[in-house]
Amino acid sequence: MIRTEGLSKRFGDNLAVSGLDLHVARGEVFAFLGPNGAGKTTTVRLLAALVAPTAGRAWVNGYETGQDDKNVRRSLGILTEAPGLYERLNAVQNLTLYARLYEVEDVASQIEKYLRLLGLWSRRDEAVGGFSKGMKQRLAIARALLHEPPLLFLDEPTAALDPEAARRVRDFIGEVKGEGRTIFLCTHNLDEADRLADRVGVIKQKLIQVDSPANLRRSLYGRRVVIQLGSVTQPVRVAVSELSFVKDVQQIDNTLTISLDNPEEQNPVLVERIVAAGGAVQFVHELHHSLEDVYFSLIEESEQEKGP
Amino acid sequence: MNRAKVLAIIEKEIADARKNKMIVISMALLPTLLVVMVLGTAFFMLNSSAGLDEGDMGIIPPELRDMEPMHAFLMMMNDQYLFYFLLIPMMMPVYIAAYSIIGEKETKSLEPLLAAPISTWELLVGKSLAAALPAVMLTWFSFIGLIIGGYFIMPQPVFLAMIRPVWILGMALLSPLLALLSVFSGVIVSSRMNDPRAAQQVTGIFVVPIIAFSLVVLAGKVFLSVPMVLLAAAIVLVLDCLVLYFAVKLFQRETILTRWK
Repeated sequence: MIRTEGLSKRFGDNLAVSGLDLHVARGEVFAFLGPNGAGKTTTVRLLAALVAPTAGRAWVNGYETGQDDKNVRRSLGILTEAPGLYERLNAVQNLTLYARLYEVEDVASQIEKYLRLLGLWSRRDEAVGGFSKGMKQRLAIARALLHEPPLLFLDEPTAALDPEAARRVRDFIGEVKGEGRTIFLCTHNLDEADRLADRVGVIKQKLIQVDSPANLRRSLYGRRVVIQLGSVTQPVRVAVSELSFVKDVQQIDNTLTISLDNPEEQNPVLVERIVAAGGAVQFVHELHHSLEDVYFSLIEESEQEKGP
Repeated sequence: MNRAKVLAIIEKEIADARKNKMIVISMALLPTLLVVMVLGTAFFMLNSSAGLDEGDMGIIPPELRDMEPMHAFLMMMNDQYLFYFLLIPMMMPVYIAAYSIIGEKETKSLEPLLAAPISTWELLVGKSLAAALPAVMLTWFSFIGLIIGGYFIMPQPVFLAMIRPVWILGMALLSPLLALLSVFSGVIVSSRMNDPRAAQQVTGIFVVPIIAFSLVVLAGKVFLSVPMVLLAAAIVLVLDCLVLYFAVKLFQRETILTRWK
């Protein structure tokens, strides 16, 4: 669906994207994370054949950018950073232009379909300038989907939206994901990426890491189980530390945080030993690191590698 | 070139411009004022007690010396006004054209448009025609209004001179060709500059050659003829093709998207 080999883009002295090797499979939701100026938008523009690479190659839906740009553009939908709507025109007029540019066969029914899906049908004849930010964003998403592209680029789809509007947009992206489309999501909202993405890629000019959010957590922090007890006694501490599969134990008050490789198999043994040692187990749960923790660790690592 | 895509751009541009009251009013104002000015000048000259003096007679070209002096003078003046009518399709769309790319960049609607499967030719031809068509239509309507008013106000020889082939050809051929020259130039400026006001200032200079030639006519140095109009049309047609070619060549999607802030 998307493949890049050493894709790079330089603007004068500024290296925006460096040696990007990426593969995004059909039907996958891929979240692209990185600080401002990391090269996320430039990557989207490279993949949408809006800018030409300085080095490397990219294929989108089987078409190579720079070689077959019209087909690249035809085969994808794009939600740019700003909705970019014609504010004096109404919703239908805005969508009609794009339906015709993308050579949509049944313009009227496609427009109706997406305006209804995005809750804008009753406002279809109003000038877009009077729409709220959330409505404009939904209309821009409708515009990106009108021609039923198999691949959708969403650049900051919920930025600057209030929580309700952001949730509505996020829910709709979830629905689109359910239809089997490939989604390339650029976002600063790490919670959004965590909820929607099958894999995330962290970029800062270079691609730092790509994996599923769960695997990234695992590779950075391992798996940890939190056990809350009535009280942590010496026999309990000894019983836990004697278990060969326990990699690390930390105690804060009556809570033990224990690093394990395979909690699904090892938790029952662990709990059994604690109970046998006289411990009163109150709660057991896995410690989840947020994607934010993962993101900052990766960015920090990359900064350290680069040096002062 | 996909005509449906060009048409889609034209319809969007015209729908957008129609919603902008200032554009509609300013577009209607110039031709209306011009028609009133031409007819009003003739009316007052014909009804004034003061006749022509020796100085006025001196500037009448040899082709008109056999006519009644007032009629000859009005014909010569009307010929100069023909140039002002040719300024309508040059001046009106140039501002729309100058704003066509910069405006989209300012409202951030350019990126989704450039991401659509539309070629630079289709985009620029659509935008140029959308700017030129209303101006040409308004020029023709105002010319028809002038003819109708002239029928009632002008003496018959002067009126007949107004509908002679030079005028008809000028309106039919030169006004659309000049309109296109103006908008293609405006689009070039629009796609190379990042300030709409600067673009409008620069495009303003394109009317200067027309004004200069109109002054030559007013000075009695040239009397318009059909071959002269046909030659001018041919020259403008060639210029149109050249300017459009350069407009497309100079339109760099990447530069427009990434260098403009």
